[in-house]
Amino acid sequence: MRNKTPSAWVFGLVAIVVVLDSFFLYRNPADFDRLLINALLALSAFVTLHARLLSLANAGFMAIGAYTSAILVVKFSWPLAASLPAAVLVCGLVALIIGLPVLKLNDVYLAVATLGFGEVVRIVIVLNPDWTGGPTGANLSTGFAYALMKQAQSWMLVAFLGLLVYFFVRMSRSRTGRAFRAIRENPSAASTMGIPLVRYRIGAFIASALIAGAAGVFYAHTVGSLDSTDFQFGRAVNILSYAVLGGAGHWLGPLLGAGVLTALPVLLRDVVGAWFEGLRNFVQLPNILNGLALMLTIVFLPGGLVALAGLRRGRRTVSEAALSREKGPVATNPGPSKEDLLLVIQDLTVSFGGLNALSQVGFEVPRGRVLGLIGPNGAGKTTLVNVITGLVRPTTGRVLWKGREIHRLSAHRIAVAGVGRTYQNIQLFGEMTVLENVIVGRHPRIRTNLATSWLWLPVERREETKALEKALDLLRELGLSHLAQIPAAQLSYGDQRRVEIARALALEPELLLLDEPAAGMNEVETARLSAFLLDLKRAGLTLVIIEHHMDLIMKVCDDLVVLNFGRTIASGDPETVARDPLVVEAYLGRD
Amino acid sequence: MALLEVKDLWVRYAGVEAIRGVSFSVEQGEIATLIGANGAGKTSTLLALSGLVRATKGSVTFAGEDITHWTTDRIVRSGLAQVPEGRSILAPLTVAENLELGAWVRNDNVAIQSDLDQIFALFPRLADRRRQLAGTLSGGEQQMLAIGRALMSRPKLLLLDEPSMGLAPLLINAIFELIQMTNSQGTTVLLVEQNARKALKISHSASVLEHGQIIRQGTGSELLADPKLKQAFLGV
Repeated sequence: MRNKTPSAWVFGLVAIVVVLDSFFLYRNPADFDRLLINALLALSAFVTLHARLLSLANAGFMAIGAYTSAILVVKFSWPLAASLPAAVLVCGLVALIIGLPVLKLNDVYLAVATLGFGEVVRIVIVLNPDWTGGPTGANLSTGFAYALMKQAQSWMLVAFLGLLVYFFVRMSRSRTGRAFRAIRENPSAASTMGIPLVRYRIGAFIASALIAGAAGVFYAHTVGSLDSTDFQFGRAVNILSYAVLGGAGHWLGPLLGAGVLTALPVLLRDVVGAWFEGLRNFVQLPNILNGLALMLTIVFLPGGLVALAGLRRGRRTVSEAALSREKGPVATNPGPSKEDLLLVIQDLTVSFGGLNALSQVGFEVPRGRVLGLIGPNGAGKTTLVNVITGLVRPTTGRVLWKGREIHRLSAHRIAVAGVGRTYQNIQLFGEMTVLENVIVGRHPRIRTNLATSWLWLPVERREETKALEKALDLLRELGLSHLAQIPAAQLSYGDQRRVEIARALALEPELLLLDEPAAGMNEVETARLSAFLLDLKRAGLTLVIIEHHMDLIMKVCDDLVVLNFGRTIASGDPETVARDPLVVEAYLGRD
Repeated sequence: MALLEVKDLWVRYAGVEAIRGVSFSVEQGEIATLIGANGAGKTSTLLALSGLVRATKGSVTFAGEDITHWTTDRIVRSGLAQVPEGRSILAPLTVAENLELGAWVRNDNVAIQSDLDQIFALFPRLADRRRQLAGTLSGGEQQMLAIGRALMSRPKLLLLDEPSMGLAPLLINAIFELIQMTNSQGTTVLLVEQNARKALKISHSASVLEHGQIIRQGTGSELLADPKLKQAFLGV
């Protein structure tokens, strides 16, 4: 199981881009700043794309940064050292204000809304010539004089970009970077791992605005003049194309993308233009080429250049020795408190468009018990699990967790409270390795943040090592350690189910909800799973199991609840329920 | 000559050899079964037959033609249809639309209409729900729809990947009865199942896969009686 080593590819790609850009700079040394600013902009697009947000707001934030700083420097005589943070802060505030409503939108709708935002910014600039110099900035009365404007030096840009790259390198290896990758692959599953979706998305949007704003500030003070047409739709598309060509899977991607797309079109125009008279003055050529590159990348290389290099963010390599170590104890968390009723479902009704998926369902799960939830397909079992984990809101009724109402909490808060789950339709993060999947499952239990990762605090290393060891223990426990380094999507169905269980246990839940854990397993594998679930029960974990393999249900469960058409038709101890004529009629059949 | 002839088939993805030299054949009119543990290569074999993953080596001959390097749509057109693992029904479309899409490769509109009626006769539950969105069907109904959709292409050979997965005990029996009924109406079936006992009971021939290789072949009842297999898959 050798993955191709990315290093040779990475080295090759970086070398190509460096050669290309050296040639580009050799011809136009003055374009050095432009190259670095494009790299900054590419990183700002990367941050949103990486969080699975298709935002076209970057050009707008760039404009806000540029004009805010220019006004502060020229009209109020602020030094650049003060106007840079001030302008960036303004971008962050605007991002927070528009982000809250706009980030409720998805994909194309978000793109259109953010595109609209960019246009609004431009119109504000055009309509306030006293402050901004109007559409082309040519209104000299505003006094955007080159001598006043030209404040930034190339070394500042290099330093800023260097700092930013350091932040990205550290983040990609941190808990935060992992959470973003999980969100990118499957937002809903990520939220049931305890990852606060809204906070992460807003965070990414603001971070992207901050970077774009800084790029705008540097743009204003290196170019030395401003023109509102610099921040049009074309700019937004160019920024996006850097990140897409390079790839949104790894921070190196946008840098490569900006390196290629800043230099190549200009070189093509100039070099080829030496032979073809008509091309030399074709100013639109770079834009056309960027558009073409965007299109070709999306069609032929959706992961961008970094996918070519096999680079994925924060891949974790573990030695064979670590994998073959003796297995540790089952990681469970019986919980400190002693309430007897862990989970109470009261009079729960869920209706979808007038149809009741659940009608007045109620039961209790005492700590340490195993409840089996059975019933025909379509009876409402999965809906019930979705309600308990906060993915579906009940129409009426209550869900109590240790006596506290949780049915209005968001999914990540319920996960943090100690409720873990697996999915009937497997919801693994397919491109992440099995090991990374399990570590993501532990997200809320890892006590690190971006600051601890940037500052190399000891807690960072300690917590990451602990998370890795816990994950490896779980994989060994479930007989998966030989698959630890493989992308989860490549596993067989039955193995993927086991990874889901490991990932859910990594949360150290007090209650584990298993939605058809044995689907896709044969009888021997099912028996092995039953034994494992009994181990968990002995270790004090409380379980709710949906399953059609009746042998597993009868072996593992203490109580059964039978649903049919959203209603409870029987409940009680397994032996009695299995003989209940109603249950035989609706579910078991006579064999 | 066999309807399907698989010779020395190899499949690898991402550096993993999923199938290592698998050979077997399916005779016209029979139900053939592939059984094996998780990760043994059953699904990979079916995907290779449909052209959804590419064989690295070996050949697949179907109805006398070498289809190894054909595209999936051409393979379906030639009469080999697959019901994928996990059903893959088109949730935002209605039941009737899903079925009509199954006949995408055909141009004989009159016959398509009568086949549609036949499917509805076969699955009255689908007829009741023909205007309902497929995503709102229960698991068992979705499985019926997936099989019905595959039948709409009028296949000579139907590949079924774990049709009983995730179904209630009551429905599992119904699905196996349905497979037998489809077969008795002339469709040859290649079945992959975790429910080895039930699968072997209805199959004419069967192969056992382990680590990407076939380790045992025989009739369904022979394998059902094999003590080693009993221990490996049936847990007795």
